[in-house]
Amino acid sequence: MAARGHVQDPNDRRLRPIYDYLDNGNNKMAIQQADKLLKKHKDLHCAKVLKAIGLQRTGKQDEAFTLAQEVATLEPTDDNSLQALTILYREMHRPELVTKLYEAAVKKVPLSEEYHSHLFMAYARVGEYKKMQQAGMALYKIVPKNPYYFWSVMSLVMQAISAQDEKLAQTMFLPLAERMVEKMVKEEKIEAEAEVQLYYMILERLGKCVEALEVIRGPLGEKLTSELQSRESKCMMLYQRLQRWPECNALAHKLLLKNPDDWQFYPSYFDSLFHLIDQSWSPPEDGEHCSEGSVHHTVAEVVRFVEDRIKGEDGKDSRSLRGPYLARLELMHRLRERGCPEESLLGDPLELMVQFFGKFGDKPCCITDLKIYLHLLPPDQHVQFINRLSEAVPLGEQGDEGFAFPDDTKALQRHLCVCQLSRALGLHHSLDADGKLQLISELKAHYRHGLKFGKTALKTELQFSDMYCLMAAHVYVDLWKETGDENMVWQGLGVLQEGLSHSASNAQFKLLLLLLYCHLGAFEPVVDLYSSLDAKHVQHDTIGFLLTRYAESLGQFAAASQSCNFSLRFFHSNQKDTSEYIIQAYKYGAFEKIPEFIALRNRLNQSLHFAQVRTERMLLDLFLEADIVLSLDESVKAMSLSAEEDDILWDNMRDNRDLTVFTCWDPKDRQLTEEHRRQSLEEETVWLRIRSLTLRLLASLASQGHTTPQQNSQISNENGVGDKTSILGSLLAQLNQTLQTAAESAEKRIQYPFLGPPSTRLASALSSGSCQCQAAAFQLSVHLQELESVGLDESSELQNQICNSFKSLVVQLQEILNKCKGDLLEMKEGKLKTEPSLLENLIFFVETMCIALWMASNCAKILRPLKTSLQKKKKKKKDANTALPVVVCGFQELTGSLQDLLTQSVEFIKEQETSITALKLASLSLEEFPQDEASFMKAAMDKVQSSYLRSLQEVGDLLKKRAETIKSLKI
Amino acid sequence: MTTLRPFTCDDLFKFNNMSVVFFDFNLQYGIPFYLQYLAHWPEYFIVAEAPGGELMGYIMGKAEGSVAREEWHGHVTALSVAPEFRRLGLAAKLMEMLEEISERKGGFFVDLFVRVSNQVAVNMYKRLGYSVYRTVIEYYSASNGEPDEDAYDMRKALSRDTEKKSIIPLPHPVRPEDIE
Repeated sequence: MAARGHVQDPNDRRLRPIYDYLDNGNNKMAIQQADKLLKKHKDLHCAKVLKAIGLQRTGKQDEAFTLAQEVATLEPTDDNSLQALTILYREMHRPELVTKLYEAAVKKVPLSEEYHSHLFMAYARVGEYKKMQQAGMALYKIVPKNPYYFWSVMSLVMQAISAQDEKLAQTMFLPLAERMVEKMVKEEKIEAEAEVQLYYMILERLGKCVEALEVIRGPLGEKLTSELQSRESKCMMLYQRLQRWPECNALAHKLLLKNPDDWQFYPSYFDSLFHLIDQSWSPPEDGEHCSEGSVHHTVAEVVRFVEDRIKGEDGKDSRSLRGPYLARLELMHRLRERGCPEESLLGDPLELMVQFFGKFGDKPCCITDLKIYLHLLPPDQHVQFINRLSEAVPLGEQGDEGFAFPDDTKALQRHLCVCQLSRALGLHHSLDADGKLQLISELKAHYRHGLKFGKTALKTELQFSDMYCLMAAHVYVDLWKETGDENMVWQGLGVLQEGLSHSASNAQFKLLLLLLYCHLGAFEPVVDLYSSLDAKHVQHDTIGFLLTRYAESLGQFAAASQSCNFSLRFFHSNQKDTSEYIIQAYKYGAFEKIPEFIALRNRLNQSLHFAQVRTERMLLDLFLEADIVLSLDESVKAMSLSAEEDDILWDNMRDNRDLTVFTCWDPKDRQLTEEHRRQSLEEETVWLRIRSLTLRLLASLASQGHTTPQQNSQISNENGVGDKTSILGSLLAQLNQTLQTAAESAEKRIQYPFLGPPSTRLASALSSGSCQCQAAAFQLSVHLQELESVGLDESSELQNQICNSFKSLVVQLQEILNKCKGDLLEMKEGKLKTEPSLLENLIFFVETMCIALWMASNCAKILRPLKTSLQKKKKKKKDANTALPVVVCGFQELTGSLQDLLTQSVEFIKEQETSITALKLASLSLEEFPQDEASFMKAAMDKVQSSYLRSLQEVGDLLKKRAETIKSLKI
Repeated sequence: MTTLRPFTCDDLFKFNNMSVVFFDFNLQYGIPFYLQYLAHWPEYFIVAEAPGGELMGYIMGKAEGSVAREEWHGHVTALSVAPEFRRLGLAAKLMEMLEEISERKGGFFVDLFVRVSNQVAVNMYKRLGYSVYRTVIEYYSASNGEPDEDAYDMRKALSRDTEKKSIIPLPHPVRPEDIE
């Protein structure tokens, strides 16, 4: 709670204990104390508000709100009440009420700097830019302090940024902001760096680069001192936009002279050179080349400049910087791209890279540096290149196994780099299976040998040789994917588990283990692996997909809920977090950060992953609980789920996934491309659309259950909407259309790199038949609606149609179930064999079964009253014909079949559980492996076995609970 | 070969290759923590980027303390270099930049906290001209069953502190509540 200044005020003294109680979390006592005080001092408004805070914090939101509004309508002007109400409204997530509060306060106390300033911040919290602009000016008029004036200017810039109409921004808001600043410039009132920064922002957004350049290079620019090289970087940017290549070139090489390792200026330097050549630029006869000094306008000059920088590094006593050496490769790359014959001036790329390796081969980043320039080597030189590098790796004597090892960590790093480069050149991939196995032995030997350098490493440190281990695992994965030999993946898991045992905090080991377990259908080990990665905040967005893609689809429902919760908690806190710091940025004049913070908030709100976890979390809750814990209707209501409302921002979806989180040394043609990214996003979006429509269809199914036809027509008469039947129908039409698009795109069978984005469940959902079956179930609900309005008497054709659909639904469900049958895990000739797709299909069966049961329950609700009224009629007529209507018979048949299917599936799961439990992994023939390797492999196998059992148990439990619900389907 | 530039919010999304090994950190940090620094001391938050766009490391700091009491100084809150980009002198470069910014702001010294057990970091800072000014008892709160740990408050005088008064070591350790 806010620190309280004026101790003299007797009210402060009276309120003190309540503040203390609230601060200590003793809300009950705070309420009591407030009541006591209010008995004596009825008009002590603040006590009421503090009581409201207590109520709010004890979950009595409505009471708290009523009480707060009692005070708010009095339009208080005492500091205590205002601050307390501000706190309360913030906790209620009603920041817009704070603006009302201070609007009233400044009306009553028009000269208060403090209240005006609070009002400004209150508007900032809700993003009312226009009102902020006015509030800022009002403040400046009361107290002519520069920051207030510039708050107002910044609010104009924000109006420009948020304007839907770019023209409005360019012709109104920004020019107005510019004029406001110019006025201050003319009056020589510019004081702070932030003000110049803001001026620059405005000019830049207006595209007034010449003016901006004048500001930056002029006396105002001298104020830009906080950020290093701020003026230089801004000038460079402006020269580029203005295409002033001589200046660009001169400034770049001036800066590079100062710091030859500063990468950002090399590209500008080279680019400007090429532009100058293209324009046949030549220096003026006399005088300076340009306002920034001399210009290098020939390739020869630039080559010489780079060579000189290299000489400078070569001659240095201290550590050489790699910048100039890489710049030479970069220049060669650019010259070649242009088809410039002067490339040869720089020398032979192979020699240059060998030289680079000689200097920096012992740095872990050598691979990262060189891999972007490998294309400079002709393919027929690849082997020669690797051989040359190997010569430069000092290794000891060959041991018994035929491998020679490095004697220190520098030599190890060099050797490792050669391995990484070989892989990046595709030399691993071109090996045959035996060659690959040989390579793996070598990598493993180097890995184990290298452990001796890290014996004293702390638990949080990595081992020097970890990357060998990771690479061995990569080669195992190559073999697994090429040959389908599952032994390869077990060995890969084994080597990674071994690696993790020596290097407990190696995130790459954990990530790859996690991915491999998921591919094998085992989610249980993933939970611990992910939690030990200790993912924080944004990482829930960037790598959270690794969890949420697999948890539910592999039948680990509890873990799936938890995974969604991790992400959701992060996303929900984001909104609140950012507005606080937007306000701080105003206070400290960090104007350029304000649009950035808002962009961050949007990026998170529009996140694909956020939309996915929101949707999947609700679906999961329904699958697990609807009609088991609560009815479907109640569940839908509790989630405030609405069929009509689509809360996903389809057009502005942001893919924040970090798809390069896995370390990868694959050659370029096997790496993730932009096209992969695009396709993956498209696929994710289609799948999300299907899931979101399914969810909304379920919501419309639920809302149908409790409205009788009479009510329905009443609603539609009253407000013209709310026709549930048409919502169901139109959502179903959308679903069918999406399924059609999905089927077309699934035919393309896009294959992503193994370490790239995982495929969605879409393809298997379609091939399992579950999507089609779910759509059929929803279609039945539409028919049932028709029947409800037509009645039983005149609807024999419709009834027949419905009965046929019932039958076909059962057939479809049976087909899905058949696709689950088989052995999830079995031993064949001493080898372990997994069939994770069976598990995936089983989950599709469960989901589809749930939907079928909800549809059936909805049917029952419709048929029951129809049947009752029919019986009444018959009684009246004393009709002797006691035969039930066709649809009722059909429905009874349906419930019987659903019961059968459930029994069948539960039986099947029981069998699987028994057979998997009975598998004696100990009897696997692992004797061909050294004992420790075998034990790591065995550990991995145990994990998979245990995970399958857990999935089966969770699925079995759910199906049993679902079977219970069939009883309620009697009509 | 490094691009050094101001940290932006979008960099948060590239954090995954950063080892979460901070030389000086005892806070459960989250987005608000980063935003607070960006809003208040954006110039003190610098990121290093490799030519391929990979995040190499970053430094985050602030300016604080009373000028009148000659305690106005730059503080290193976090310094991190991805494992792959170690041994390039990047940490030293980032520290140099933070010192330069603090010089421009007229600071008397730069300081930082480091776990007493983190010998690698302590030695690195010593090489960069820092010395132990005082020990802060149980500055790092316990986690995962490990005991609380003391911190060294290490300092380096800037040119404004001509007599290097700010770095004269305190004779006794202090408690976290006694530091400002």
